Amino acid sequence: MAGPLAPERTPDTTVDEASDLDRPWVTIVWNDPVNLMNYVTFVLQELFGYDEPTATTLMLQVHHEGRAIVSSGPRERMEHDTSRLHAYGLWASYQKDS
Amino acid sequence: MKPFRARGGLVVARLDAAEAGIVGLLLDQLDQLLSADAGDVGDDPVLARLLPDGHRSDPALAADYRDLTESALRSGKADDLATVRATLPPDGGDVRLDPDQAAAWLRTSNDLRLALGTRLDITEDTEPPEDFTEERDHQLGVYYWLTAVQGALVDALVDVRSGRR
Repeated sequence: MAGPLAPERTPDTTVDEASDLDRPWVTIVWNDPVNLMNYVTFVLQELFGYDEPTATTLMLQVHHEGRAIVSSGPRERMEHDTSRLHAYGLWASYQKDS
Repeated sequence: MKPFRARGGLVVARLDAAEAGIVGLLLDQLDQLLSADAGDVGDDPVLARLLPDGHRSDPALAADYRDLTESALRSGKADDLATVRATLPPDGGDVRLDPDQAAAWLRTSNDLRLALGTRLDITEDTEPPEDFTEERDHQLGVYYWLTAVQGALVDALVDVRSGRR
């Protein structure tokens, strides 16, 4: 299931009742040895509108636990979030929440 | 080099001629890799890192994702590369970037670090070189120089975003 920090929807989205049915998809950022910690925090704020403490907590989760869920919602939205993270070189993927 | 810092809503830095030359060469190499025929570079690990799978366990979903997103991802990288080229002083000098140009520098410098880091098998335990005796030491030196450039650029952009100069 999504961690407590993962918002139910990304802040700039409104999700209607129907698309809530296919909600349980998540976007994950994976740890990699190249991306800088301040860069990952910056990108999470830039793309998802997280405040600095939330973005820092997610970054640290990636760093220490190897991965963090950074958004959750319908599949199409998670594909989109993954592609925005890929544009910034973060190692991201989407999958059905397990 | 004078590292990036925020100044009046812009970010500015100064590069030596040698540093600008190295960035220019790296941009050319990245450009070549991204515009190469898939047949020639299909399983290149750098390309796999720059254009990753969107789904890790379902090949059909990963293929769908690639069809949907790869061309936009590639054209975004090409646009960023062009922006960095246009704002890089070829013989060294001041780099002055508005926020959009700075974002292009941020993404492209990260791609250069990902490319070098993949080629050099960088891990969490890799250390900067102490001596420059082998070719790998020089490449590692470039990698850590880019790391410093990018780290300062992020800090400068955080300052711009928060209204600090």
